Amino acid sequence: MPVIPVAGSEKFANAPTSPEETRRVVGDSVRLHDVDRSVVEALDPLTYEVVRHRLTSITEEMGEALKRMSGSVVVTDCNDFDAAIMDEVGDVVQVGLYNTELAASLDMAANWTLRNRCARPGIAPGDMFLCNDPWVGGGLHQNDTSLFAPLFVDGELFCWTGAVAHQVDLGGVSPGSWSVGATDVFWESLPTPPVKIVEGGEIRQDIEDVWLRRSRVPKLVALDLRAKIGANNVAHERLRALCEKYGADVVKAVMRRTMDDAEQRLRAKLREIPDGSWSSVAHQDSARSGDRGIYRIVLTLTKTDDRLVFDFTGTDPQVDGLINCTFAGLRGGIMPVLLTMVCGDIPWACGGIYRCIEIISEPGTINNCTFPAGIGKASVASGWATTNVATECLAGMLDTHPEHRKRLMSVCCGTWDFALLAGVDQRGGGFVTMLCDSMAGGLGARSDSDGVDTGGLACIPMGRVADVEMNEFAFPMLYLWRREEPDSGGPGRFRGGVGASSCFIPYDSPLGGVHLVVSAPGKALPLAGGLSGGLPAGTQHDVLVRDTDVHARFAAGRIPASLDELAGTTDLVPTHHETDLGAADVYYTHWQGGGGYGDPLRRDPAAVAADVAAHKVSPAGAGDVYGVVVDGGGAVDEDATTTRRAALRRSRAGLEAEEVTA
Amino acid sequence: MTVHIDENLVQDDEGAVRCRHCDAVLGVAQQPLRDARVRESDPRTAGPSVRADSGHFADRPVVLRQTFCPGCLTLLQSEIVPGDEPSGRTRSVVAR
Repeated sequence: MPVIPVAGSEKFANAPTSPEETRRVVGDSVRLHDVDRSVVEALDPLTYEVVRHRLTSITEEMGEALKRMSGSVVVTDCNDFDAAIMDEVGDVVQVGLYNTELAASLDMAANWTLRNRCARPGIAPGDMFLCNDPWVGGGLHQNDTSLFAPLFVDGELFCWTGAVAHQVDLGGVSPGSWSVGATDVFWESLPTPPVKIVEGGEIRQDIEDVWLRRSRVPKLVALDLRAKIGANNVAHERLRALCEKYGADVVKAVMRRTMDDAEQRLRAKLREIPDGSWSSVAHQDSARSGDRGIYRIVLTLTKTDDRLVFDFTGTDPQVDGLINCTFAGLRGGIMPVLLTMVCGDIPWACGGIYRCIEIISEPGTINNCTFPAGIGKASVASGWATTNVATECLAGMLDTHPEHRKRLMSVCCGTWDFALLAGVDQRGGGFVTMLCDSMAGGLGARSDSDGVDTGGLACIPMGRVADVEMNEFAFPMLYLWRREEPDSGGPGRFRGGVGASSCFIPYDSPLGGVHLVVSAPGKALPLAGGLSGGLPAGTQHDVLVRDTDVHARFAAGRIPASLDELAGTTDLVPTHHETDLGAADVYYTHWQGGGGYGDPLRRDPAAVAADVAAHKVSPAGAGDVYGVVVDGGGAVDEDATTTRRAALRRSRAGLEAEEVTA
Repeated sequence: MTVHIDENLVQDDEGAVRCRHCDAVLGVAQQPLRDARVRESDPRTAGPSVRADSGHFADRPVVLRQTFCPGCLTLLQSEIVPGDEPSGRTRSVVAR
């Protein structure tokens, strides 16, 4: 069924709004704090640095508060959340080091709330607003639920704080709200525009009931709500203390200067880099279950003097499926790359950084979709693919500068390997969880070093993978293994970091098995591209073996170490899939590594031999891709390698085959 | 002014793009890989990292498209993409 336009949905099609326009719209509804420019200019450097670092530490404290109060492994063990401090109109002053994709659009949600809720129901001290509507902002898909809170000082709205975390289930057709059969948003979790869920410091029970009623795990979502309330409360306590010590004007002046500083330092860095343009393309295979299409996001990055223009002209139209993302997702795809690759030595004040960039994007495309397109997977589909093209283009830009090229990185782990389990746990309670093992993705290669093996995800600097034992304790599953996979890092002069695999069975559920939802692209083609001739990382690879003899092997005292050891029926799992796992069914999921950098035939043969010894590269990969021949003792056979490389150099370019004999 | 475009490419002050390894001319600023050698092959020739045939998952053909310096055969660009789609990867640097 085609997507039918929905009258009235344009109200929620949010776009960044200037501070001046925001103040005009708000008018007298809420008194917004402001500070005179002279106070900003009069700030002494010591006070500036002390208060600025305090703001940074407050976002870290918000993260700690979230983790201590949440009961979700996704939050407590995997850090799939973030926090931010914004000024009075929502511009981000400091973003936390957790999932920067999530926090990059908090400004849009806070600003929309200011403009649309200031008169009715009003914004007052002790209020907090909940939002999981990615057209408004505050997250990339509905599972990213944000809670943001105005802080009032002396009767004026001084600033906003916000916390956002992945909720494991908020309704929709499939468990985890990951409706792999979705053709539009009505299959998915209901997007909720900003609603005042905390009023005067108290949770509104009626609103919370509406919020939790949609979830398969309402108690867990309720706990996460309280964790986010706690994170905001911690921030407000600290910010009030800061204002009492230094004065609100000084603290606000620091906020202003932090954003100005980020802007000016980024502009200065850009001026050092040659002007030019860089284009790239990111593909995604399959938009929903049963779909065999391949979709693309196109980016042309133009750098002129101290400005960047991200032009997505040529990107495919939005599709019937769950892979689209809104404009908030597009911004959320760009900002993590700017922060981690370009702004590593600059304050992470997105409000200042956004001033240096312009985005050109056509509404109705897969990374700027209109309501009611399906967006259930936006964060790790079109949002992530936007990150991939931004990574390639920004890396290409940095590569032209002798110093800044040391900061570039090839694409990291091309996408999220989504596997979700649901059912009844070993304690008899209902459960839903997203398996976060692929948080240990391979990082991309750099211009002077290999990517970090299972180093994580570039967009989540503080991301973690839950211990195998934690997953087995929390959920009815038993691992056969979790391990790095050879050859999964993109080959290159510098190799991309390897990805890994997990293999497990349902275990100890009173139902015998569990429900499985899979949404893992990158199977038809790898999604983590290489740079400067470096090859892409490996493809995603998921295998389901039905009716195995795994329990007989356990009884015999043996833990299978490869799928080949198992009897049963083996199937490749499609990109999108939903099924039940029986007690003897084995699920294997292998996520991606990082892209390579440079020609693999220019890699130091000793490094390849070391990779073979460490099982990062297989002997076949060493010979076929790197042209390195390793002898029985693990040493490089220099003569054979020279011959092999000479032959491979010609054969891979399609030249005469007779020389390919070594 | 000479600009290093990346690991393999350099652009001279007249706008010619050359291989950094063998000095072969590869193109000009607007089309730096204009004269490079392009070869398409089965994605699985990229090595064991491509775990399964793309035909299991997608209907469009998928290819490994690689671009080489015609002089020294250094690999300049690699991509695994739909074969019915031209390359979307370009770069153009303005020498100052």
